Amino acid sequence: MALAGPAPVASGRRRLMRPHWWGLIFVLPAVLFFAAFSVFPVLYGLWLSLTRTSLLNPGHFVGLGNYAAMPRDPLFGTALANTLEFVLGSTVPVWIGSLLAALLFNQKFPAREFLKTLFFLPVLPPLAVVAVVWKVLLNPSGAMSWLTGWIVGKEQIAWLYDTTLAPIMMIVVHDWAAIPFYMMIWLAGLATLSPELSEAASLDGAGALRGFWYVELPQLRGTTLLVCSLSTIGAFQTFVLQYVLSQDHGGPVNSTLVLGLLIFKEGFQFFRMGYAAAISVVLFLMILLVTLIQIRLGRHGA
Amino acid sequence: MLRWVWFAIALVLACVFAFPLWFMVTSAFKAESEIMAVPIHWLPHHFQWLGQFRLAWRQSPVGRYLLNSFIVAFVQVAVTVFFGALAGFGFAKYRFPLHRFLFFFVISTMMIPFQILIIPLFMEVHALGWGNSYAGLIVPGMMNAFGVFMMRQYAADLPNELLEAGRVDGAGEFHMFLRIVLPLLVPALTSLGILVFIWSWGAFLWPLVVVQDRHLQVLAVGLTDFSQSYSRPPEWGAAMAASTLATLPIAVLFAFFQKYFVRGLTAAAVKG
Repeated sequence: MALAGPAPVASGRRRLMRPHWWGLIFVLPAVLFFAAFSVFPVLYGLWLSLTRTSLLNPGHFVGLGNYAAMPRDPLFGTALANTLEFVLGSTVPVWIGSLLAALLFNQKFPAREFLKTLFFLPVLPPLAVVAVVWKVLLNPSGAMSWLTGWIVGKEQIAWLYDTTLAPIMMIVVHDWAAIPFYMMIWLAGLATLSPELSEAASLDGAGALRGFWYVELPQLRGTTLLVCSLSTIGAFQTFVLQYVLSQDHGGPVNSTLVLGLLIFKEGFQFFRMGYAAAISVVLFLMILLVTLIQIRLGRHGA
Repeated sequence: MLRWVWFAIALVLACVFAFPLWFMVTSAFKAESEIMAVPIHWLPHHFQWLGQFRLAWRQSPVGRYLLNSFIVAFVQVAVTVFFGALAGFGFAKYRFPLHRFLFFFVISTMMIPFQILIIPLFMEVHALGWGNSYAGLIVPGMMNAFGVFMMRQYAADLPNELLEAGRVDGAGEFHMFLRIVLPLLVPALTSLGILVFIWSWGAFLWPLVVVQDRHLQVLAVGLTDFSQSYSRPPEWGAAMAASTLATLPIAVLFAFFQKYFVRGLTAAAVKG
């Protein structure tokens, strides 16, 4: 397109003022949909969390009774601790790992695109597939035991049947799938950097690492915040791995029981919908709090 | 040379990360006894052409799961893309009462984690009489706020002159959307469509709770037939065959639309 001064660029952003009712009609289906299937359920869930509701009986109001019951519920305590452990293990290592991978694949070397594609493959399968495949790999007599058997000299390892190992394996499998995904986001961010600044930094004699830390990373604040918040929000909500990969949905002995799984069990196995809704509200508040803290820190880092 | 050092590191990393999928695909063609073989078989020694796939088909209604996954994904992609573009265009190019409030309303739903919706949404869908049905399976995931947000960003960049020209020709506003706006948004619609397909195809928790009838279940949930069999010994070959099938559509999308695929996945990063 030929450039005809700044006018066309500016007008592209200006709204069409005249037939405004059409705009309302165009957005109405989406607005009504989100009102019905996002905002209403949130409000309804808040109400449910204040009631004792089973699947069939409409509930009666119990005030904050469900919330008061949580500290006395050992399952809730276990699930909370397991969730926090999972969140820790599937955020910090993912941030560092995905950033390092992005920096690596941002270098120039032979067969880079091909190797990047191979590295990216874990993003493709749905999480349920990831869980099923790793269930085979982590079978006591499976490929993983064979691989580590070389190193530790032990023939069978109960990766998923040990209360210490099982939660760690949830994290390992999660990070295996998450690191390539977040690497792509880092790479998209790195592609927007101005090469002049980096070159100026290297002319100044700044070391490569220091140059990255002081010159490039600050320009990636938006990407950093996105990677940190997306991975944290996702980790708090983890469900599929603990449901499919672990022994008996959250075992052994509840060592992989996380809040997402507890909500499912309370709601759809014990049919305590009110209590399940209350747990989901607590989970939501935790996610909200951590996200707000991250946004604050992101602003402060200026 | 430094570039060979990078190459060596990248090679090792790529092999480690790609290995589980290599194992999945090759094991789908192995004999059952080979899958737990020590040392592992990098390639099938007793190549089963479609034996494991047939076994999977016999053990579980895999064909039905596949069909259901495609139905759900197709409807959700079509509706999200069309109404997302319509709403995005409306927000980008028109002024109307409550404009700012409604946009904020839609965007704020992006912040709602699905875990808080699951219980009330289940009750709501049952109250609507959609429990254990395609409607219950499909409708709650038929739109997403990110789609509206993304489409608004792209629609805002469309030149107004083009729209004015459409008006001069006497086209109605909706006609203009169909004839002028949608074709211009095709690259963005493709990225969004691929993204929604991936989300829809991988959805697990919602289908798990809303559907009880196996013949309505989607493949992601149906896969667990093979991993949690309590009554019979697990058939890992069939599990790998079904897993390969469940990955295939995404892999095909990736192979043919790599540019849109990556752009869709990173759209939030670049646009946000």
